[in-house]
Amino acid sequence: MSSISLRGVSKTFPRPDGTALDVLGGVSFEAPDGSFSAILGPSGCGKSTILGLIAGLDHPTSGAILVDGRPVTGAAPRIGLVFQRPRLLQWRRLGDNVMLPIEREYSRDERESRARRYLALVGLEGYEDYYPAQLSGGMQQRAAIARALAIEPDILLMDEPFSGLDEMTARRMREELVRVWRETGKTIVFVTHSIGEAVFLSQQVLMICAKPAAVRRTASIDLAYPRAYGDPAMFEIETGLTREFLAMTEKRTVSDG
Amino acid sequence: MSWLHRSAAALVLLALWLVLALLLPNFVPGPVPVIGTMWGNIVSGEALEHLVPTLVRVGFGLSLTMVLGTLIGAVMGLSRVGELYLDSFVMVGLTVPAIVYGIICVIWLGVTDAAAVAAIGLAAFPAVAISVWKGIKGIDAELVAMGRAFRLSRREIVQKVIFPQLLPHMLAALRYALGICWKICTTVELIGMPNGVGYQLNFWFGLFSMEQVFAWTLLFLLVMFAIEYAAFKPIERHMTRWRGDAPLRLAV
Repeated sequence: MSSISLRGVSKTFPRPDGTALDVLGGVSFEAPDGSFSAILGPSGCGKSTILGLIAGLDHPTSGAILVDGRPVTGAAPRIGLVFQRPRLLQWRRLGDNVMLPIEREYSRDERESRARRYLALVGLEGYEDYYPAQLSGGMQQRAAIARALAIEPDILLMDEPFSGLDEMTARRMREELVRVWRETGKTIVFVTHSIGEAVFLSQQVLMICAKPAAVRRTASIDLAYPRAYGDPAMFEIETGLTREFLAMTEKRTVSDG
Repeated sequence: MSWLHRSAAALVLLALWLVLALLLPNFVPGPVPVIGTMWGNIVSGEALEHLVPTLVRVGFGLSLTMVLGTLIGAVMGLSRVGELYLDSFVMVGLTVPAIVYGIICVIWLGVTDAAAVAAIGLAAFPAVAISVWKGIKGIDAELVAMGRAFRLSRREIVQKVIFPQLLPHMLAALRYALGICWKICTTVELIGMPNGVGYQLNFWFGLFSMEQVFAWTLLFLLVMFAIEYAAFKPIERHMTRWRGDAPLRLAV
């Protein structure tokens, strides 16, 4: 398992007109080994950019990203990603989709047993031979989570994975995710724009404000798992965070104007 | 069930033909004499004698057109500059009537099979190029990004993520190109080949034998259907099996 640590990470993208667009302006946080962190912020504030940097898909302009105290390079830590949409290959059966990232490394038997194991873990036992189009959106997203788990990653990065689902399905998926996290002990970084989702899932909420993004506040959520929807203590935290968040964005708007 | 509808459609066509033949006996020969004539051609060996050269020309022409079209379509899909250059070429290629290619190739290469193949290859490739071009433009970038995120090799991304997305476009192109190739081949045979189905059509047109013209056309159609049902339909069904006729929706 792995800890993640970001120290003053900045990212600048060139605009088409040649000027620079500062997306991240010194993002710092610590995600201990086996922890569940939520990155909370409004749409388009650079949350996904942070995940891309941790995954090593892109390089920071300045600052350091450490996994287990070592800088992230191309292939070193095993990182599983789950995207907003399932991004399954429609022409492959579910089992073959889950096996996709491990086809080079393992024998057919090992791959198949892993696909079965992780599909079962996300509640899709016996669905190996279905095509994605035969399943609902929620089931496809479960399969995407199984695919990320099948590489047996140290870290699981999730980019608003439930935002495309209806609320009832999303609720069940969150409960399942907490169960999977507690069973596997992965370090999870979960990007969301929903305060309720962040509070329900995570141990710490990293509140990000827009452009250039930085962690404005880290709120730790000291509630026992499994958490229940409608728990008054959780509701209280959510209300508090909402108030802080609004104050934060208002201040930004005033200073921007 | 689908075969039932298809056979019914064939019967309806046959009935229409029969009615037309009864109403206009001087213009439309009936199914019975036409099928009889076709059978006569088959038994005498004449059908095969002319069908084989046509099939060979179409086969080589189709291969040429697929290679040419795929190459040009790939360049257009992958390079912005290539797109700017080749776009108008393809549009020109698409607009020039097929017979022009036939005439030019026969003048250049003489009354040879090479002329027929070249004419077919030139006339049909724009359709393939457009298909491949659109296919490449339609590649889902999110899936490619997923492949990168999971550390698939370049080769794996091309093989497992990109190629399967292009395959349906390639099949559609192949099918469409085959239709065009047939038509061009008969035209070229009509203007300057010593044998082939097009040559036969022209020959019997000269003798005003409607029965023979119909018999050769029918033979042609039957071969096309055979290719469609023996090759294209099964391949297509295999390739699109993941879509499913009636998607089965299951609750979460």
